[in-house]
Amino acid sequence: MTKEEQIKIINDAIIQTKTSLKPLGYNLLFWGILIISMSLFHYFFPELVQFSNYSALVYWVAIPVIGMVYTINYNIKTGHKTGYETQLGRVVKIIWATFGLSWLLHVAISVIKGINAPTLEILFSLAIALVMTGLIIKFKNITIGGLLLAFVVYNHVSPGLNFLLMNVYGIAFGMLIPGISLYTFKETK
Amino acid sequence: MDKLLLNPIRLKIISSLLGVSSCDFNHLQKVTESSKGNLSVQLKKLEESNYISISKSFKNNYPNTSCSITKLGSKRFEEFFKSLMSLRK
Repeated sequence: MTKEEQIKIINDAIIQTKTSLKPLGYNLLFWGILIISMSLFHYFFPELVQFSNYSALVYWVAIPVIGMVYTINYNIKTGHKTGYETQLGRVVKIIWATFGLSWLLHVAISVIKGINAPTLEILFSLAIALVMTGLIIKFKNITIGGLLLAFVVYNHVSPGLNFLLMNVYGIAFGMLIPGISLYTFKETK
Repeated sequence: MDKLLLNPIRLKIISSLLGVSSCDFNHLQKVTESSKGNLSVQLKKLEESNYISISKSFKNNYPNTSCSITKLGSKRFEEFFKSLMSLRK
């Protein structure tokens, strides 16, 4: 075997075990569509979502938990199909698992302390997770999306923007648009 | 040069495991384009030399072999690659 052949073997093997960004794009797209649809439904039909004291809480907890179960299942199946887990993919997985945990904690703390929906805190954690992911996978659209989401959250301090509309704007900039661009992104060798 | 890595199948295995935290047998078979028996032999040799670690489990009731590179394996590959590049010059 010549040196060139050995280098080609190494190169080809590394290329065949690179990180696929499509599943992450699908996850962002799924959550973007889900949260925007939920926010718009809540905004236009408040009487349906808030028919009792706890119905809005159940609405905002039960559906995302079902979404979590679905995406975890999707990611496990995708992982099995791929047959390997890259270090990069592992780091991104840990970031999103931490965000999921922080989401659950925010909801639990707000219920225990009897405070209003922790929308700002959750969106801010989401913005951090997006910026970190974008920087790690070197995909500018996600980093910019995270920064825009943080900007939307920051701006909410002064104007009286409805939380649900803020969710729609923030998630559209932070997840939906970057998700579409990542999902349709053509990975090159 | 490391004689263990001069074998193309073993070199493919180690190169595949470089950037991953774990990789299953089927994917390695695809990358190395070798038979199950041959791949098993080469994996065993790498494991005996402590270049890789192998763990066996069950996935959906099917046995699953998962491999990952060890620190020694990464170090040996790095040395191998450096010597390869220096010989190329």
